[in-house]
Amino acid sequence: MAKISPEEIIVTDFAVREHRSLWGDAWGRLISSNTARLGMFIVILFVSSATFSHYFWKYEPKKDLDYSLKLKAPNLSPNEEVDSIHIFGTDKLGRDIFRRVVHGGWNSLRVGIVAVSISLFFGGLIGLVSGFFETVTMTMVERLVLFSITGLLLGALSAWVANQIFQLFLYAGMGIAAGYYQDFLKGKTLRSIVFGVIGFLVSGIPAFFAGITVGLVCGILGLLSGVILSRPLDGKFLSNSLMRLMDMILSFPGYLLAIAIVAFLGPGLGKGMIAIGVVGIPVYARLTRSAVLSVIHKEYILAAQSVGEAHGRIIFRHITPNILSPIIVQTTMGLANAILSAAALGFLGLGAIPPEPEWGAMLGDSYRYLASGAWWAVLFPGLAIMLSVLGFNLLGDGLRDALDPKLRT
Amino acid sequence: MNVKNKTLVEVRNLKKYFPVSSGFFLGKANDVKAVDDVSFEIYEKETLGLVGETGCGKTTVGRTMLHLYEPTAGDTIFDGVNLNEIGERELRRTRSKMQMIFQDPYASLNPRMTVGSIVGAPLEVHTKKSRKEKRDRVQELLDMVGLNPDFVNRYPHEFSGGQRQRIGIARALALNPKFVVCDEPISSLDVSIQAQVVNLLEDLQKQLGLTYLFIAHDLSMVRHISDRMAVMYLGKIVELADRDEIFLNSLHPYTQALMSAVPVPDPDLAENKDRTILIGDIPSPADPPVGCNFNTRCPVAQEICFKEEPEYLEVKEKHWVACHLVK
Amino acid sequence: MKPLLEIKNLETRFYTQDGEVKAVNGVSYSMKSGEILGVVGESGCGKSVHALSMMQLIPDPPGKITNGEVWLDGQDLLKLNEEQMQKVRGRDIAMIFQDPMTSLNPVFTIGFQISEALLLHNDMSKKEAKDRAGELLELVGIPGAETRLDDYPHQFSGGMRQRAMIAMGLSCEPKLLIADEPTTALDVTIQAQIIDLVKKLQDELGMAIMWITHDLGVVAELAQNINVMYAGSIIETGKIRSIYKETKHPYTIGLLGSLPRLDDSPGTELMSIPGLPPDLLALPNGCPFAARCGYKIEQCLTEKPPLVEIDGKDHAVACWRWEDIAGIKSK
Repeated sequence: MAKISPEEIIVTDFAVREHRSLWGDAWGRLISSNTARLGMFIVILFVSSATFSHYFWKYEPKKDLDYSLKLKAPNLSPNEEVDSIHIFGTDKLGRDIFRRVVHGGWNSLRVGIVAVSISLFFGGLIGLVSGFFETVTMTMVERLVLFSITGLLLGALSAWVANQIFQLFLYAGMGIAAGYYQDFLKGKTLRSIVFGVIGFLVSGIPAFFAGITVGLVCGILGLLSGVILSRPLDGKFLSNSLMRLMDMILSFPGYLLAIAIVAFLGPGLGKGMIAIGVVGIPVYARLTRSAVLSVIHKEYILAAQSVGEAHGRIIFRHITPNILSPIIVQTTMGLANAILSAAALGFLGLGAIPPEPEWGAMLGDSYRYLASGAWWAVLFPGLAIMLSVLGFNLLGDGLRDALDPKLRT
Repeated sequence: MNVKNKTLVEVRNLKKYFPVSSGFFLGKANDVKAVDDVSFEIYEKETLGLVGETGCGKTTVGRTMLHLYEPTAGDTIFDGVNLNEIGERELRRTRSKMQMIFQDPYASLNPRMTVGSIVGAPLEVHTKKSRKEKRDRVQELLDMVGLNPDFVNRYPHEFSGGQRQRIGIARALALNPKFVVCDEPISSLDVSIQAQVVNLLEDLQKQLGLTYLFIAHDLSMVRHISDRMAVMYLGKIVELADRDEIFLNSLHPYTQALMSAVPVPDPDLAENKDRTILIGDIPSPADPPVGCNFNTRCPVAQEICFKEEPEYLEVKEKHWVACHLVK
Repeated sequence: MKPLLEIKNLETRFYTQDGEVKAVNGVSYSMKSGEILGVVGESGCGKSVHALSMMQLIPDPPGKITNGEVWLDGQDLLKLNEEQMQKVRGRDIAMIFQDPMTSLNPVFTIGFQISEALLLHNDMSKKEAKDRAGELLELVGIPGAETRLDDYPHQFSGGMRQRAMIAMGLSCEPKLLIADEPTTALDVTIQAQIIDLVKKLQDELGMAIMWITHDLGVVAELAQNINVMYAGSIIETGKIRSIYKETKHPYTIGLLGSLPRLDDSPGTELMSIPGLPPDLLALPNGCPFAARCGYKIEQCLTEKPPLVEIDGKDHAVACWRWEDIAGIKSK
């Protein structure tokens, strides 16, 4: 048989299909779906109207007041009663609802973006770290960081009891020592005793100067911390601790927690953003962690390790790009959620401070007038909330199908 | 065979146990003894074949000896350096000399990276080459494994399984390693593509003077490529010898059964072959039998096999067996 | 003798986003009752798809059987509706699949799943069905069969699960058993057990078996006749001896050459087939193997060769140059 070397052929004869990146592929699928296009249209309309109105169609809520136009029904042309056009009608202070709905969009958008950024950043970081170190052994430096942070956290209590900030650093130092001398008396009870005693002395002696009882309390705290730090803390421990913390946050009903945080921080749009963001952290943390765990057992991660790539590089070059899809979907849907939460807080009077236009607050202001027939004052802000949430959800669904073709039927 | 008896890699009493339960405060339950006291040497420029069935620990041996998994016990001495005795940084540097080719060409290439950056990754970590130099080297590597060098900007999903495996080989060769662990590099490929990849691996070995550990479950392919062969069963090596020695004079009953179970693509031979069909299944490595591992399926097991673990001994020159009945 | 199964010009297409995938392109052959037929080919050659098409188990959309007839015992299966087809599946034709891990339902016991299959097609009580299930497990060589009826699939090993699948397949004494890569996921020693079992069962029960696989070795041990498939067509078919010993098609020659054998002399380079199988989205007009073939001529690129019978040998090949190639080879 005439032997053709495989190499010659393979060089010339393959890849008949068009060259497309995975992202390009996903984009193609996204814009071929009708619902995703509708979602995208609504989102673009919402984002552009909110942004452009903020910059090109200024609105000063504090000066907007006209009792003569109180609760007028929508009109499309000036009539004998109203000489200006209010296509969405006016509210109890005679303000144009259309204008307030459009400008309310800016606030909703801000809340959505800031809150989701907070959840995404912290949740993503927590999920990434806990997922990664759950399976990958830590290097010395990483272990020392873990031990020192654990030390800092443990030290916070006795620093507070003794009112001595520097205790924090003593604890961190103890953590670093425990991490560095990890093989010292490894697996023996004596190790716990040694570190317990060190902890007792390190924390107790300086605290003693603040008072005998304080010294004793700090000494005991130091002893317990020493025992904890003497254990071989590792990635599994880190991952478990972080995830249990997330479980604690999740065990509160979301809105209740957000209300509690706002009650603690005081009302205001900014505080509302923080509250909504914090409530969302566990969702992103869990999602990211499970995505990391699904990627980390792939052979290309092992391959990266086997050529000697460092952990940071593996996380950012190999893991992050491969877990983006579910996170992008969740972020899009999360924007809808944040807008809804912001409206709920606004409705309860805990969000934007009046007269700042905000959809939830507008609903809260106007629902009392529903009985007197002013349906427009409730309908249009409500519609705005519904449409924007619908838009983000449709887009999110479309993205899910586009980014993960396996789910498609 | 150009077997020079200079040892490149030596594995001594390697063990890797995976803890089954590792709760927060709970102690350990039974460990899965994936690799249980394995020792062997690999000579320079030879191919050592490692065969065994699913779950026998052959893949774990490959990964543990390179310290991709931290060994529970035992040493790997690579080119005179004990990997246990060097630090993390140095280990990472040593990795450039010992590389790995993976089983699944679909999972072993990052789908979000271009072929150029996949093959170039080792260069970025270990060398300070300029962008141009890196690109040239990547293209040279692609050419070497029989891929079109112009496709550096393509993504893995645009290639077939065999081509992806070639990309994986190019990555492994980027830093001119001395030693390559080939972990079932062909088992997920089609028959006609398998032959292409095996021929490529053989050519590259000749060209670059590589040393291979070739892990596979396909006995006939291992026989084809290796100089010496080791057979694993339940975390242990049961027999190790020169390729022809194993095929002509295998001593361990498991090796014999394994060889008779391999289907032969020839109807005449298939008809006349007398086969030993092993009864039963492979026991779980979490709960291996007492005595010799193989006693549950062994056709010739004696009383002693259920009591004592056989020693791994050199019964003939360069022929190691772990069986009570071979002395 | 009238054949048990006769397939005429079967064609299956998948309509995907990227275009029309020509998965099966005019497959015709017949099987006698009691025959063991090996269907061999690489992934994507249409060997599984053609079997699923026979059973009308192709997901539609995107799949569609665009042409052909499948005659089993005097009825054309492709003309039957879904209800009638459900009666045929399991009773006349049974199928076992590659992955014994996913083809058994993890939430039901093995005994329940086998007796389910029995109750579906037979008029028997639950008690009878369960007894029969026990007999079947015994038949496929599961030790302590009676006691293992109440086990769940996860309590079985891979080999035992495949045995249980075979028991399920045999439960209604089908005329034809289609085995789609049943040993690919198993280890060689377990594979040897299963092959041995299937041979024994076939001796006892006498059903026809279609064994779909990529492994030429397994087929050599088991089958009487072989269909070699490539890119959705049968390119060579015949009695097992004449396929292995008087190989005619250059693809089959290459396939056999690329297998290392336990009995060849060390150091021989494997004969590999260059290149890749064609993209089923863009099949060439001529012979599908032409691009990889060392013997190709002008005609191979323009005209697809038909499957022609070699006189008096029960051996057919789809190649324009098979006579020349035989000449070149014997030199």
